[in-house]
Amino acid sequence: MRVEVWRGWLAWGITALVLAYLVLPLFVIVPMSLTSGTNLTLPVPGWSWRWFEVVLTDPRWVQALGNSLVVGLGSTVLAVSLATPAAVGLVWGRFPGRGLLLGLIATPLVLPIVILAVASFGFYATVGLMGSRSGLILAHAGLAAPVVLTTVMASLQSFDRGLMRAAASLGASPMTAFRRVLLPLIAPGVTAGAIIAFIVSFDEVVIASYLTTAEQRTLPRMIFSGVRESISPAIAAAAVLLVLFSAALLAIVTALQRRNG
Amino acid sequence: MPSVAPASPLTAARGQLPYLAMVAPLVVFVVLTVILPVALFLFRAVDNRELQANLAATSAALSGWTAEQGLPPEPAFAALVRDLAAAQAAGHAGTLAARLNQAVPGSRTFILKTARLAAEGALTGPDVRSAVLAAAKGWQNPALWSVIAQERGRFTAFYLLTSLDLQRHPDGSIGAVPAEQALFLSILWRTIAISLSVTAICALLALPVAHVIVAAPRWAAAGLLALVLLPLWTSLLVRTVAWIILLQGEGPINSTLQGLGLITEPLRLVYTRGSLVVTMVQVLLPLMILPIVSVLRRIPPTYMRAARSLGAPWWTAWRRVQLPMLLPGLLTGSGIVFVFALGYYITPTLIGGPGDQMLSSFIVFYTDKTLNWGLAAALSVQLLAVLALAAGAVAAVRALASRRVA
Repeated sequence: MRVEVWRGWLAWGITALVLAYLVLPLFVIVPMSLTSGTNLTLPVPGWSWRWFEVVLTDPRWVQALGNSLVVGLGSTVLAVSLATPAAVGLVWGRFPGRGLLLGLIATPLVLPIVILAVASFGFYATVGLMGSRSGLILAHAGLAAPVVLTTVMASLQSFDRGLMRAAASLGASPMTAFRRVLLPLIAPGVTAGAIIAFIVSFDEVVIASYLTTAEQRTLPRMIFSGVRESISPAIAAAAVLLVLFSAALLAIVTALQRRNG
Repeated sequence: MPSVAPASPLTAARGQLPYLAMVAPLVVFVVLTVILPVALFLFRAVDNRELQANLAATSAALSGWTAEQGLPPEPAFAALVRDLAAAQAAGHAGTLAARLNQAVPGSRTFILKTARLAAEGALTGPDVRSAVLAAAKGWQNPALWSVIAQERGRFTAFYLLTSLDLQRHPDGSIGAVPAEQALFLSILWRTIAISLSVTAICALLALPVAHVIVAAPRWAAAGLLALVLLPLWTSLLVRTVAWIILLQGEGPINSTLQGLGLITEPLRLVYTRGSLVVTMVQVLLPLMILPIVSVLRRIPPTYMRAARSLGAPWWTAWRRVQLPMLLPGLLTGSGIVFVFALGYYITPTLIGGPGDQMLSSFIVFYTDKTLNWGLAAALSVQLLAVLALAAGAVAAVRALASRRVA
């Protein structure tokens, strides 16, 4: 039995090391963002909020944050309003070719992001949407739509369709039943999908690099070019804000999914 | 909502119309913003419109001519001057010169000059050939004429051949480019090699972790899974930035090693193949752990115990009993990690050295820096082909494995 015990400890040891490797590197950005110095060295010379101040007051960073929020909200609204009815149609419909349509909609999930970015760049340049936020909103909505579709389809699985017939027999029009019966019941799934769609857009950098000019730079785009030019603690501060924001949104998603299931 | 009680096939089909109408807007949207742009972009890999439309008369005049005959005769030069004058007037001379320059490097300037002169009417007279050759000596190169003679169709294989380090010789045969010009096959192999090693390392690390998670008590398993999911939910960009900070010259790893007196000079850790693989494994590992965990959960632990009690050593029991049953999870995880790794761009760009750049970086290079869209499209076709092959291989192995287990 001695060997068994050793094997158990070894497996736990390896697991602890692997998990440390997965999780710990993330935390290095926290002390880096709070440094009082100008270099990314550890131990830090002293603590200060100056780099958060830079990110939250420098007009270029503020503009980037604003752009990220506008693009994120725009693409979320677009993705949710297109994907929610589509999920209902795909789950309840019995027409042939549903698998094909699902595969078509899921294309952006498997397509290398660079190909999608380059293709969008060429396309929007010909249709005259280059360097506009609307172009980026359209591209991000395409990327987020399959994610919203999956979450809403999952929440529809547990919806009892008898409720819709009950509403109809009580005289509700299909639109009313959709609005007053179906939507409130699948709302947690739709909200979770919306938040994930927002995060998809909020974190995306490659398409944003191709479709934006200097004035429309998003937050990840600023971090990306910052890392390539000169890496400063301001980038760590922006990264911390990005992580905190996404983490807060994800906590909401987890809470919603727990309530739903 | 329509009721679900079809009376006849026709009413049944009509009953489906509202559902189709609900799906249609999203499908149209995805086709317009994803499928159509990607299809138009990939088409550039074989598109020969620039040569076909702008040099029609010249390539017609070259029918029957081959490179062995030396320079083409007078009518071909006359047709060239007419074509170039028309291209210049239509504003196509720039794209035409850029396209020919991709096939015969260094020809852009004199083609633009010839086009300008042709449009001004400076290249006329009884001997157009001498006039053209006097104005631009570059037209003495038979390779340029071979390209015009060969590339007369709507489609071209030029970019796809280039992306495979192949070229078409003036006599029409296809062969490898000289070794010093070969570039793209080595990039392709490098992309596959990096992705394969990342996949293999992920599999090795994921197996013990997955076993521990499944064997752990409920509360501990939930905590461990949360730790696995945490990096997955952090932006890829932020994770890469964190590794750059960790590994840089004055970063914590180097300063700790120096503080311990183990090294005197900072090690060069970042911008290497090692830093790229370490970062990619960290980024992709959760995608390998999760499918293995979900398969392993469905295997009763009694199977292992039965094999052990019958006298099989642990390793034999694991290899003969456990491994075949968790193979589907391992294959799914490997497929996902490999396919994701193949298309990586941000991480290699930021944390790899010049010799660690993968296919995606070159697709960016040819659209961003040199504006060679045809070649970028050909490289994208190559990337998608490898992706499809990998997905097919995983599916085939899964089918084979499930037949053997059954």
